[in-house]
Amino acid sequence: MKVKNFLQDVSGASRVTRARLKAFEQASPALDGTDPIGEAARTWHPGPAELIITQIRDTGKTAKTIRFARPDGGKLPPFYAGQYMVLTFCIGSSIVSRPYSISSAPWQARQDQDPFVEITVRRSRGDGFVCDYIHENLKPGDTVVCDLAYGQFYYEPLRDARHVLALAGGVGITPFASMAKEIAAGKMDCDLTILYGSVSSDDILLKEELEALEGDHVKVVHVLSGEDPSWQGERGFLTAELIRRYSREDTSCFICGPQAMYRFLREELKSLSIPRRRIRFEVFGQARDITSFEGYPAELSGKTFRLSVWRGIHEDVIPARADESIATALERAGIRIRTGCRSGECGLCRTKVLAGSFYVCPEGDGRRAADKDFNYVHACSAYPTGDLKIKIPIL
Amino acid sequence: MKFYKNHYDVIVIGGALAGLSSALMLADKGLSVLVLERHNLPGGIATSFVRGGIEIEAALHEMMSIGPEDRRLKVGKFFDDMGVGIDWLPVPEAYHASLPDLEVTLHPGLETFAQEIDDAVPGTYHQVLNLLKLCDSVFNSVNELSIHPMSKAQMLIQHEAFVKTAGYSTKEVLDSFDLPQKAVDLLSPYWIYVGSAFSELPFTIYSVLMADYVGYGSFIPRKLSHEMSLKMAERAEEMGVQIEYGQHVEKILVKHGRAYGVRTARGDEIHGDYVISSAYPNTVYSKMIEPAREVPEKATRMVNARRISLTAFSVIMILDRPAEELNIHDYSIFRGDTMDTDELYENLAGLGPYRYLTCICHNYGNPEVTPEGTCSFSITVLPRVEGWKQVTADDYDRVKHAVARQLIDDMSAYFGVNLLDHVLEIVIETPMTVAHYTNAWNGSIYGYAHTMKDHIIARLQTGEEERLIKGLEFAGAHAISGDGMGPQVTNGRKAAKNILDDIAAKEARKK
Repeated sequence: MKVKNFLQDVSGASRVTRARLKAFEQASPALDGTDPIGEAARTWHPGPAELIITQIRDTGKTAKTIRFARPDGGKLPPFYAGQYMVLTFCIGSSIVSRPYSISSAPWQARQDQDPFVEITVRRSRGDGFVCDYIHENLKPGDTVVCDLAYGQFYYEPLRDARHVLALAGGVGITPFASMAKEIAAGKMDCDLTILYGSVSSDDILLKEELEALEGDHVKVVHVLSGEDPSWQGERGFLTAELIRRYSREDTSCFICGPQAMYRFLREELKSLSIPRRRIRFEVFGQARDITSFEGYPAELSGKTFRLSVWRGIHEDVIPARADESIATALERAGIRIRTGCRSGECGLCRTKVLAGSFYVCPEGDGRRAADKDFNYVHACSAYPTGDLKIKIPIL
Repeated sequence: MKFYKNHYDVIVIGGALAGLSSALMLADKGLSVLVLERHNLPGGIATSFVRGGIEIEAALHEMMSIGPEDRRLKVGKFFDDMGVGIDWLPVPEAYHASLPDLEVTLHPGLETFAQEIDDAVPGTYHQVLNLLKLCDSVFNSVNELSIHPMSKAQMLIQHEAFVKTAGYSTKEVLDSFDLPQKAVDLLSPYWIYVGSAFSELPFTIYSVLMADYVGYGSFIPRKLSHEMSLKMAERAEEMGVQIEYGQHVEKILVKHGRAYGVRTARGDEIHGDYVISSAYPNTVYSKMIEPAREVPEKATRMVNARRISLTAFSVIMILDRPAEELNIHDYSIFRGDTMDTDELYENLAGLGPYRYLTCICHNYGNPEVTPEGTCSFSITVLPRVEGWKQVTADDYDRVKHAVARQLIDDMSAYFGVNLLDHVLEIVIETPMTVAHYTNAWNGSIYGYAHTMKDHIIARLQTGEEERLIKGLEFAGAHAISGDGMGPQVTNGRKAAKNILDDIAAKEARKK
């Protein structure tokens, strides 16, 4: 065979080898350590870091808004309105992480003067010990390890309708507060109508702040479900009828609120012929009562099992309650585990089960198919149903 | 608390395909191996994620070098030999080429492929088949010579085609076939899988690409590339490999020109006889070697001389209709407004509008990959890093959306269906996404460009002298075989082989 001529053809390998060595000789001996694409990625996702609380204010009868800044005053990571950040606390002998939707706007995290992020936390009704810890203990000047931002609950112009109908319940208003602020500042191009369900007017969070944002593109409609004779506005639950009335020809429904509201709205939405792509739920949150889920072995409720936890070649053995997630058992024992959404979806707490049986909350099981085959669970949504042996990352 | 053993034979930085291949091969020979992976799952970009309850492939278009069960190619055989049983699904076609005046679907099989080109460009069958056979001959030589090296004289006799085409670019060899331009166009779409214009791309690489994909077809794992990555990792652990996720290695410890361990971001100092780095040489030599004075000057020159190849931009959509209803009829569509690879390569240096798109409709290879009534459709561009280096964190979202919109609009116009009216889920992956999840240097996925100045044969010839720090091997797209998921397995095995040879040589000296 022949490409050009015999001599040129057969000397190819030597020719290309010489060319390569020559290129090496001619190259600069100075190190170029610039990685701007990596830098941009790290700006968006710097990982967990300490932030300092610069302000705490009441934004409702039972709610506080906590403002965080970087200790050096620098800009915080960019994020999408609707995303959450994960806060980690050492409380007693526990190390706990919880996600909180960011209630401030993305532009406020990137402004030149005093950039910040805020979360708005409501005091719990006795079932949220981290919320109560935040209310009772945090003060300006404290530092908290924060990791931002995560989550898929945000407006995506290539997917969503230009008109977003927010269906918010209780503290579920927070992601919409962020969106409203971003829209009102002209940084986000869509129209937002918020249907905000509360029991009574005392339960409304961020009331004044939301009112101040109303305008051409942001509208807030309060809907009260409790008895309140003086209330002039919408009443009852967030129903199909209400949704229909506030929808436009093309509307995306974004839903964030308590689990009971999700269950109620799923039924209500069925009666409306809304295309599937126009309905978006924020993650479900940690199951309030795992024993109420289908398939959960109810007889185990209240039992405690032996949880063997491997990190590298190190083993710890801790107790784990059948009705609490593996993540919670680890946190109680003071063993660090990264968690994100606390709903089984994001996979940040992906954990290998080496031996033993478990139950996975069917709500929001976001595991990959192959992970299921190899007994991986998301620790925040998996529950021991017997003695268990797991392996988690060393933190 | 003690999380690690006092000593490992080999510490592997990075638990993606290359690192895991190294680990499998080394464990198979009885070595103690530790794999440290930054992310919380294996695979690097060979992974998947779940959105709205649907698992979505992150990066794999199609695997080369697998081969059907009865004629396994080297990567497929390696998985079989290592006991990594992957549920491979054949990709039904080579590609649909959508090029100026050409809408042609081509299928694997050298004769079939040549016949289908002849149908589109009559009178080309024999010449195209000759070209494909030449590719096949070079491909077979590459495979054989990588196992049994031989003298130059012997090579000339037994591997004539390989030797005689070694010094030429793809363009030079294609030109010598004197084919009509349209036939050349139909033989060009895979160029993007190796990422160099034909004027620069060694014909050796083109041969391997064509012979492998066209000759044997390509495959995908049923449960997405996460199935492949996870099965490799699980098998490695079964064989005694310790894999630790969430461990970012910051430093490679070197003393008197020899690597002896690593330090993680957590602060663990771990010792081993050998270190395999999936981190790019650029990262290793500019940031990781401790102390920095142990970085040889030659290493810096080498890194500076080599051109970082392509990165990736993908829009992945789950659409709310079956593919046929959206006029999507093929597993893969390569669409360009020209097939002049020089022009296209130039176009990749910017931020769009991009002129060469690669689309995958996963359902045609794996019908159950999305729920009934939906389909998965992705549009990918593999840009050069230059343009994306200019994008700041604050401008990132705007650029990302502008590029995504261009790609979607282009394909919508092509299908005559506005894809934006059907989006259930959309994920936009960018060079920054790659950098975020893998820490790859400047988000690159292709390592160093295959060029005539950085020729695979030259890499093989001088590879030995480029192992500049004793005990430190590289495995990843930046290693000898370059980019692609199949080649990562080869890269990983090569790094492992270097170590095994080194150990064997030491043993021999002792005796």
